[in-house]
Amino acid sequence: MTTISTTRPPARRRAFSVSVLLRQLLLGLMGLVWLVPVYLLLANASKRPEVFGEYSIWQFGDLGGMVSNMADAWGRGRLSLGTLSTALYAITGPALAVIIGAGAGFSIVALRLRNGFFWFVLIFASTIFPLQMILMPLFIGYAQTGLYNSRVGMILVYTVIAVPFSAFVMRNFFSGIAHQVFEAAVMDGASAWRIFWRIYLPMSAPALVAIFILQATFIWNDLLLGLTLSQSETVRPVIAALSALQSTYGGSAMSTVLAGGLLVSLPTVVLFLATQRAFTRGLSLGQF
Amino acid sequence: MTAPAARRAEMLPTSKRRNTFALPSIGFVAPAVLLAGVVLYLPFLYTTYISFTKYNGLGDPQWVGLDNYVRMFSDPGLLNSLLNTLYWVAGTIVLPVGLGLFIAVLSHNLPGATLFRLPFLIPYALSGVAVGVIWSFVLQTDGALSQIVELFGADAPRWLLDAPLNTFVMIVASSWQGAGVNALLFGIGLQSIPKEPIEAAKVDGASGFTMFRTMTWPMLTPLTTVVVGLSIVGSLKTFDIVWGMTKGGPGGVSETLALTMYKETFITNDYGLGAAVAVFLTVVTVLASVLYLRRQLAPERSV
Amino acid sequence: MKQHKTKAALMATVASAALLLGACGGGGNSGDGDGGGNGGGDVEPTELGFFTDKAAWEPQFDEMNAASEAADQSTLSFTGYSDAAAYDAFIKQAFRTNDKPDLFTWHTGGQLGELVEAGLVAETTDLWEAAAENGDVPEGLIENYTYDGKQYCVPLNVVYWVMYYNKQVYADNGLEVPTTWDELMGNAQTLVDNGVVPFHQMNFIFEFVWFQTVVAGSDPEAYVGLQDGSVSYTDPAIVEAMEVWHQMQTDGYFIDPGVTTDPQTLLQTGEVAMANFGTFFTGQLNALGMVPDEDYGIFAIPNVNPDLDSQQAIVETGPLCVGAGSANEQAALDYSAWWMGVDAQNAWTDAFGDVSFNPNVESPDPALSAVVSQVTGPDFQIQKRWLEATPVPIYTVASEEFGAFVTNNGDPMAHLEAIQAAADAYWAEQ
Repeated sequence: MTTISTTRPPARRRAFSVSVLLRQLLLGLMGLVWLVPVYLLLANASKRPEVFGEYSIWQFGDLGGMVSNMADAWGRGRLSLGTLSTALYAITGPALAVIIGAGAGFSIVALRLRNGFFWFVLIFASTIFPLQMILMPLFIGYAQTGLYNSRVGMILVYTVIAVPFSAFVMRNFFSGIAHQVFEAAVMDGASAWRIFWRIYLPMSAPALVAIFILQATFIWNDLLLGLTLSQSETVRPVIAALSALQSTYGGSAMSTVLAGGLLVSLPTVVLFLATQRAFTRGLSLGQF
Repeated sequence: MTAPAARRAEMLPTSKRRNTFALPSIGFVAPAVLLAGVVLYLPFLYTTYISFTKYNGLGDPQWVGLDNYVRMFSDPGLLNSLLNTLYWVAGTIVLPVGLGLFIAVLSHNLPGATLFRLPFLIPYALSGVAVGVIWSFVLQTDGALSQIVELFGADAPRWLLDAPLNTFVMIVASSWQGAGVNALLFGIGLQSIPKEPIEAAKVDGASGFTMFRTMTWPMLTPLTTVVVGLSIVGSLKTFDIVWGMTKGGPGGVSETLALTMYKETFITNDYGLGAAVAVFLTVVTVLASVLYLRRQLAPERSV
Repeated sequence: MKQHKTKAALMATVASAALLLGACGGGGNSGDGDGGGNGGGDVEPTELGFFTDKAAWEPQFDEMNAASEAADQSTLSFTGYSDAAAYDAFIKQAFRTNDKPDLFTWHTGGQLGELVEAGLVAETTDLWEAAAENGDVPEGLIENYTYDGKQYCVPLNVVYWVMYYNKQVYADNGLEVPTTWDELMGNAQTLVDNGVVPFHQMNFIFEFVWFQTVVAGSDPEAYVGLQDGSVSYTDPAIVEAMEVWHQMQTDGYFIDPGVTTDPQTLLQTGEVAMANFGTFFTGQLNALGMVPDEDYGIFAIPNVNPDLDSQQAIVETGPLCVGAGSANEQAALDYSAWWMGVDAQNAWTDAFGDVSFNPNVESPDPALSAVVSQVTGPDFQIQKRWLEATPVPIYTVASEEFGAFVTNNGDPMAHLEAIQAAADAYWAEQ
């Protein structure tokens, strides 16, 4: 869906200037502070429930404990069943949304849609509605149209949820592209359809990837929509299962909950790691 | 290629162009408008209708006119929620947005940038369930933060128990999760900035902060608008983290508008009042974001 | 050229329309068309749609399914919610659709009253009569399920609110299990003197627990009077009880309200010596590897007022309800009948290690078994848990006030007045 430019920018071998070192030092220190809660997560997810209370929160348990806690969460929370459907939603939803949102941005910026600002606000305003309040009417609508508890229904809602953000980012990203690019393509006889797919989308790879991973992460971690619009184990997202571990009545031990949370977060962390490269492969619009 | 002012001039529409692409322009925007209309606007219209009724989730809603709105505005608790919500808006624009920009600028074109940015992105990728538990480890009495403070010989405050401190520390917690995303978006903005003017400015002797203020910052506007716009909307709707950490308490002191809405609807089962708060919250958010966006997107408004 | 543009417009529109249409056609979910109804008599066992806000119970319900299948009963298709508030809203809204739940868990008190009034739950009067004949339900439980002389739903579970204590901490401090309130307070003082926190307490979810314990143990009639508005939260009996709680907080008997560590962990490590909890707490302690009667013990909390005729015990019960007009209504009613019986309840206590409401069924856990036979004995009077016994609008305000009181230990009267204002507003409308 997203073509990532593979051409590396000319390697700019900078001398290790003081400024670079200072920046690295500062970022490194901030990064360490940022990782403290992550460390706490790892440390406490690795303690066996029976001895959880004997440790201070700073102490690490042991790797075996981490593995057994994860296994416990995996089995008890039946996480396996939700993983597949969640992956489907987290890939399909944002992928569709990125294209649809980019289409809207393209229409408003490049094609100069009449009253573009109005339509833009109209799309954007839909992110403003508090999600908790549209859940119940959405549930009724879904139940009446047969979308309730269907994968198609889940994909639909996750796509729509991601569209406004995507439209917002893409609209603004496109506005950074000089309009001559569009005009030149028109001169060459390209259709709007072709310009969109062949010129604007490829030029926007970093933005598309960013939207995709941010929305995929949001969807992967969504609880409310998943709980409300689905019921069977094969349709329900994994977080609905995970959250069941954390329950006032008969919930699991703290370390099991943490290990489960960690386990479920792995795919999104990997996604971030994998797509990081897309941002560093220089893709500058300066040349246009 | 050119500074924004020049670009704006380029974009002045001609009537001819508008006509040529009228049909495709509608075609390209239609999916987004239709989807948002059916899946998001319709349910919200229903919520608006509920706000004019008395309804407990059972049977049929009964029309009561503006009753719920009168009750909402005469409740002194609303003021507290509004105040906390404003804290969230202000705090979110300062902290996660400011930090995000800071991280993006520091790591731009930095050797090993990928590695240095990573710690800020991991929090966003973690599931909410784990994040809530971790922050309760950090902020509880004798928790991680208190232990660190006491290491320096100071008395640790009651982080989550006293207002408005609890709202502030929760803003910090949410910045921990949100700054990386903003850095990511700012990073994209930085990458799309044309090289030539920057090089030209360098030749002219601009550097450091001056360069940032006069060249980089203005050209970052499209993505700044996105980040700030989303932050305004997101912070006005703040719910998850507060609900997870304090449930709006103790005694409702850390409640935000979104929590008031949720509690009235789902805990008290006063759907009408909850819907009225939702409508109020939405109106406030629409006003705030339209005011902001109109200013920011002004050049394209005439298009 | 023009063609291209039109095509682009068309395709984009069609794409979105197709998405919507395709979605509409896709996998619906309807019941299996079994008419159900109120006809009575047995129907073929089937798979019942079962919904609950106790999502963590799924493994145990698998065991229940094995038992019901063996008994030639229906099985349950489990859907758990972790967010109780979202669950309540979902169930209510589900009755407006064709996806009415066959079986679902709910709350007693006003919340069930609402559903009964709206005609959403099937009547179970016959089932209760049969169960009473078999001695499968204890005296008094039926009141929680009776509206206008008819019964609705059956008991899913019962929870007795009792005191859990860490045996090691008790031994280390030379303490005995208290039989009077004064002894309990004496134990607490000894613990405080030795630098141990006596009691667990929370400022959310269970912020009301000590209120109910102290009020019911001081003046049971006032406790009952609060439930129908005949007693005010500012009446002397309530104020006095609140002062007792206030004094306990002042004396440092409770853990710092900012501690959010799981109560089971706190009791295990001895950071608190005692926890006033429902009997479901046993499961959470056992999950940490604690052994009943060895690592921890349980006792009934003595009355605050030693002159009362009977010992007061708080009981909570959650209903298992049949959706009126659901696809498998009759099968769900049959299942409910089976549920109340000895076979099902034996399976329940085996699966959960918990207690059963059924007096013919004994819990496999000796500590639980002992305390339950004590509080269900002749010396005890059972009181409803405050949460279910209080109308929701009053509860919402009161839980906030109690939360603030637990956190800041301020003037009790200010909190009681705020709660009474909500109570006045509520009862004026009735």
